[in-house]
Amino acid sequence: MSDQPVSNLSESRPASSWGAVTGSWLPAAILLLATIVVWEAVVRIFAISAFIIPAPSEIAQSLIAQWGALMQATLVTAGEILFGFLVSIVVGIAIALVIVRFDWLGRALYPLVVLFQNVPKVALAPIFILWFGYGLAPKIGLILVIAFFPVTLSMLAGMQSVDRSLLSLMHSVGASPTQILFRIRVPHSLPNLMAGIKIAATLSVIGAIVGEFAGASDGLGYVIQFASTQLDTALVFAALLLVSVLGIAFYYAAEVLERIIVPWAPKFSHA
Amino acid sequence: MRVETIRAAGSRPAHIRHDDLISAKGVSVVMARQLVLQNIDLSISKGSFVSLIGPSGCGKSTLLKVLAGLVNPTSGNVSIAGLSPVEATRKRMIGLVFQDANLLPWKNAVDNASMLLGIADRSLSRADLRACGHEMLELVGLGDSAHKRPHELSGGMRQRVAIARALALDPAVLLMDEPFGALDAITRDAMGQSLLEIWQRTGKTIVLVTHSIDEAIHLSRHVHVMGIKPGRITGSLDIGLPYPRDLSLEEDPQFVRLLVQLRTMLRASHQPGGAS
Repeated sequence: MSDQPVSNLSESRPASSWGAVTGSWLPAAILLLATIVVWEAVVRIFAISAFIIPAPSEIAQSLIAQWGALMQATLVTAGEILFGFLVSIVVGIAIALVIVRFDWLGRALYPLVVLFQNVPKVALAPIFILWFGYGLAPKIGLILVIAFFPVTLSMLAGMQSVDRSLLSLMHSVGASPTQILFRIRVPHSLPNLMAGIKIAATLSVIGAIVGEFAGASDGLGYVIQFASTQLDTALVFAALLLVSVLGIAFYYAAEVLERIIVPWAPKFSHA
Repeated sequence: MRVETIRAAGSRPAHIRHDDLISAKGVSVVMARQLVLQNIDLSISKGSFVSLIGPSGCGKSTLLKVLAGLVNPTSGNVSIAGLSPVEATRKRMIGLVFQDANLLPWKNAVDNASMLLGIADRSLSRADLRACGHEMLELVGLGDSAHKRPHELSGGMRQRVAIARALALDPAVLLMDEPFGALDAITRDAMGQSLLEIWQRTGKTIVLVTHSIDEAIHLSRHVHVMGIKPGRITGSLDIGLPYPRDLSLEEDPQFVRLLVQLRTMLRASHQPGGAS
């Protein structure tokens, strides 16, 4: 989102695009670098024990030393996130469509969906382990209950914000509710839906890690838990770093998807 | 009545001439316990250009929606070529244009122009729809912007696409609700002129809701003035100026006379009328 003005700039003034990119990323990069340097210095100067706060260099060493195991765990977690994320999108969209298309069912379903949203879903993790065991299923279930809601809600908001006079136009040619749904409401909701999907991407990462905390024998969540029982804080941080990278990757994948699906969205088409 | 052309709605002869395409008799609309329209009598002959003008809240948009079959009158009767508005809608006899063009941002100008036609007639192929869309864009003077998306078009161009979309249905009646209300003065003049040309070329019957006195006189053959509380027709004015008309019309003493007359009628229409 923050890079949007950058791409606009680069379109209008190709010569200065590199300047625009460095201009927007440079301050953040400098701050990040400074933080790492200060962190390293503080840990060394005050001789802080590695199991309380490991220095960045120690985290890097741990990352390299455990690279194989960490990559394997990352792959497992990434698989859970991807699967859970896709299921959340499909279920979230399906619920939104049902609510909009079937008025009676919608009025029954919508309050329950909102009610369910108020259940602290992280607390469901142990129950899901109890029901579905230690495999992939409880993680997918947990991601689903955490991540479907923004998808449903954003798509609903998009479908319900269609201009009344556009609906009048559709009625004036005798359009059926199904035609209005698929020709107008669904495409109209796509920019909103993509915003919801990006939130769901972030929540999916949280869902996967929480699921692994509750009970797993693999994945980055498991590594974090295992390493903290061993007081290997450097490894905890190394795993955290990889979790963050996964989160960023999924977020930007959703962002790329957005540009492909809704190139006409208001955020892309302002002059 | 000071002006002889003003006829009170109630005392208007209830005759229906056989060339009347649209006729409303005793139409009243109650919405949320409010009398929005009271006892509207209206007859519009085929091929005519009629404007409805009046202060905000006089129910002119509601009257248009009644004619379009989008609002059911609480009492009274509307017929369009002998059909109810809903039946007329099914026969694609009604084209609608609103203040907002309401184009679909994910479709280009051609596909927007043929969008409603595609829904009204599912037997048409994609190629047929495209051909019709191109033809209609040509008619509204947008032939060379066919592949532009709405965000690449100006406000006036978007409204031209909206008119093309209504014309694509080949409706008998074009109902327009302040179609140029959101445009700047110059664009507005140009759009009015284009609308006149389209009207003369296609012979459609046009009912235009507007709040611009100039626009009403400039474009229409008859103007109906509406009043508030309750919404009703307080007077009608025949614009006797010959077509084709252009912007030089404004220097015509007859134009100025009509302007004064209509303004006087409008001022009177701002006074709430007692229940009759």
